[in-house]
Amino acid sequence: MPETEPVRTYGATTREKLLTQAPYASEDRQKEEELLPIIREQLKTARRNNRQIDDFFTKQGIDIETIQKPEDVPYIPVQMFKHFDLRTCPEQEIVKVLQSSGTTGGIPSRIPLDKATTINQIKALKSILSEYLGKNRKIFLVIDHEGINSPKLAFSARTAGVRGLSIYAKKTFYLLKEEEGKLSLNMPVIRDIVENYSHEDVYAFGFTYIIWTVFYEQLKKEGIQFTFDNFTLFHGGGWKKMQDLAVSKETFSDTIAEVFGTRPDRILDFYGMAEQTGIIFVDCEHGNKHVPCFSQVIIRDPFTLDPCDIGKTGLIEVMSVLADSYYDQAVLTEDLGVQIGVDDCPCGRKGRYFRFVARVEKAELRGCGDTFRESR
Amino acid sequence: MITCYLKEGKFEEQSYQDFEEIARSVNTGREAFAAMPLDAIIQILDTLGKNVLKNPEINTLPGVSYISLWLRRENLDRICKVNYSDKRYLDGFCKNETNVLMMAQPRGIVCHWIAANMPTLGFFSIVQAVLSKNGSMVKMPKEYVPLVLSILRELPAISVEYEDKTYSGKTVLAAIAVVTFEGRSTEVSEKFSLAADCRVIFGGSEAVRAISHLPCRDHCETIIFGPKYSFAVFDQGYIESDGFKKALDAFVKDVAVFNQMACSSPHVLFLEKSRYPHETVTSWLCDAFERLPAALRNQQISSGLSANIINARARYLLSEGKNCVAPRDLGWTILIDQDINLEEPLQGKCIFTKEIGTVDDVIPLVNHKIQAVSIGILDPAKREAFARQVTSKGADRIVVPGTMHDFILPWDGIMTLNRLVRWVILKNNPASQV
Repeated sequence: MPETEPVRTYGATTREKLLTQAPYASEDRQKEEELLPIIREQLKTARRNNRQIDDFFTKQGIDIETIQKPEDVPYIPVQMFKHFDLRTCPEQEIVKVLQSSGTTGGIPSRIPLDKATTINQIKALKSILSEYLGKNRKIFLVIDHEGINSPKLAFSARTAGVRGLSIYAKKTFYLLKEEEGKLSLNMPVIRDIVENYSHEDVYAFGFTYIIWTVFYEQLKKEGIQFTFDNFTLFHGGGWKKMQDLAVSKETFSDTIAEVFGTRPDRILDFYGMAEQTGIIFVDCEHGNKHVPCFSQVIIRDPFTLDPCDIGKTGLIEVMSVLADSYYDQAVLTEDLGVQIGVDDCPCGRKGRYFRFVARVEKAELRGCGDTFRESR
Repeated sequence: MITCYLKEGKFEEQSYQDFEEIARSVNTGREAFAAMPLDAIIQILDTLGKNVLKNPEINTLPGVSYISLWLRRENLDRICKVNYSDKRYLDGFCKNETNVLMMAQPRGIVCHWIAANMPTLGFFSIVQAVLSKNGSMVKMPKEYVPLVLSILRELPAISVEYEDKTYSGKTVLAAIAVVTFEGRSTEVSEKFSLAADCRVIFGGSEAVRAISHLPCRDHCETIIFGPKYSFAVFDQGYIESDGFKKALDAFVKDVAVFNQMACSSPHVLFLEKSRYPHETVTSWLCDAFERLPAALRNQQISSGLSANIINARARYLLSEGKNCVAPRDLGWTILIDQDINLEEPLQGKCIFTKEIGTVDDVIPLVNHKIQAVSIGILDPAKREAFARQVTSKGADRIVVPGTMHDFILPWDGIMTLNRLVRWVILKNNPASQV
């Protein structure tokens, strides 16, 4: 895909500049000054192009010009991608509608993409990954089966991870296979890796729960251990199940680092979602997730909805300037997180840093108040 | 594993594998208790209500002031009168208009399954068993055990004089046991159910279905306070009346108490078209919500419920023909549309408001899941006609704003005390043998 789309200029700082500068170099205040003019312009375009979004603003009496802080930008709950068309550009500009299977409800999220947004997402992801992988392409190991990347399947968090992270791949290997719905080790591929790629630069991606319950368990049984010279694992998702198994992040990192013959600080948990493809929040060596310069994270109190103080758990809101084609300027997730600090992580990265805490537990009706429907 | 917090009048936490010993103690305790005159029992409960109000450690707890009001002798007398027609039936055989003598005998041990929506529900259930002279084994949510025990702790210090005899609250207490156990454990739940002469079940659909299918003894009576739904409807005359804003204050209290987790909590408010636009009435409703005491307005909610409310707000703001009026926080939410239907409850003080042509528009919506309908209709004939129609379709209680949660029997269409006793007879000897 050509990367020569006309650059949209918003205010004094162009988005292009944000996408090419070091992603964690800006201090939080500076970042906000850069993001807000872009977001305000994007919101105006969104209102012009989408009557539902325009209604959303009108009914709340929101004047875009008066938005002075990121927390004032109206957020849209992530579930709305399942129920509404949140396109913000003219329909003819949409080149693809991403359908994310999600984990709840069975209704897929629909994320309309135009060319510029897709390019921005790729640039953003490259920018983030370069911080953790350097500039060169590497051998990419997918701890999943090849079918997960099939265009026939609905887009899922697993698919998003594989596709997104593959931009740094010079060669891709799938370490698992699927037979009758069951995942198992793809032994010929694993042998090939052990014999021929141990001294190459390698990075891998997998779903945390699958790495632990399938990959690690079966490797242990088979007595297989890798000895890579230079290895990084990105993993995410499934932490609720891991909590049920009483496996902490530290235990996971220590154990899996040993399996790959690397250091625990090369086992990197990340947080991201299909509705904000292009942005992943990756752990630094101190276990904190950092927010790149084209994005912002707000932790909101689950009752007051105001930004939480540092150290207090709340709902994670993710903001981004990447999309021209849909409303991803402010998306409120159903995940809980905690902001750890601003600009002062010992790893040296600037901006806010946070940790993921848990998925929001699905609320069920409590007590004897109930549906009005009669049971049959 | 069963944890028992109260047995034989002693507040001690003990573990048990089954209910045999606990049931035995309740049965022993209830013999002396059942011999007490009902009036003496009512006098003890009346004193308990006064004492809890005087105890600074209890009187600020949620629902305690209402308990105190509810335990007033006049109220308990009224409840007994409605249920038994005559209190004397509880104390011995009485003559009536038939040829036989009748008496209301307690069923024995009542096993209560208490729902998790209302902290004081367990206490109300116990009092109903007490007013029918039954023993009680009460399974309640662990978080509400301290509150209920703190009220029951007042009983031992109470003694009353009745017909030259002294009766003690200790005797009442000896017939009560409070337990917790894992409800998902079929084995323990079955044992609890099999210990019952009468089962009283409060809860949602799933809980009620599971418990009512547990094995029980052949003679066991089961009283179910199952899942229900409530709403409100105000007519034009009511909306245009002078007292309407006050009525809205009362209505939002109904919404706020128990944070809409009770079966008597309203979820939809239907407003008949009036000279005031819907927006105006909505703004009055907003003001009423903001006038709520802080403790009711700012009740903590789970993050899951937060997400549900945030999603509902966004859905209404993004949808054509719908709107949402709410503060910045999740203190309360008004969701507005014109669809004449009932809405799935959200809880957390989320009220759906809908404008209707006439109050009769809501009659087709009523079914047997409807518990309370709070009506704002001033014209007595119209009120009664409406009430007859909605109750014939299934609604149990037609009330006024501010009284939706008033625990008046019958509840859910059930005369509870009446169901908690067995009506027994003693036929007179034939005249020739006397």
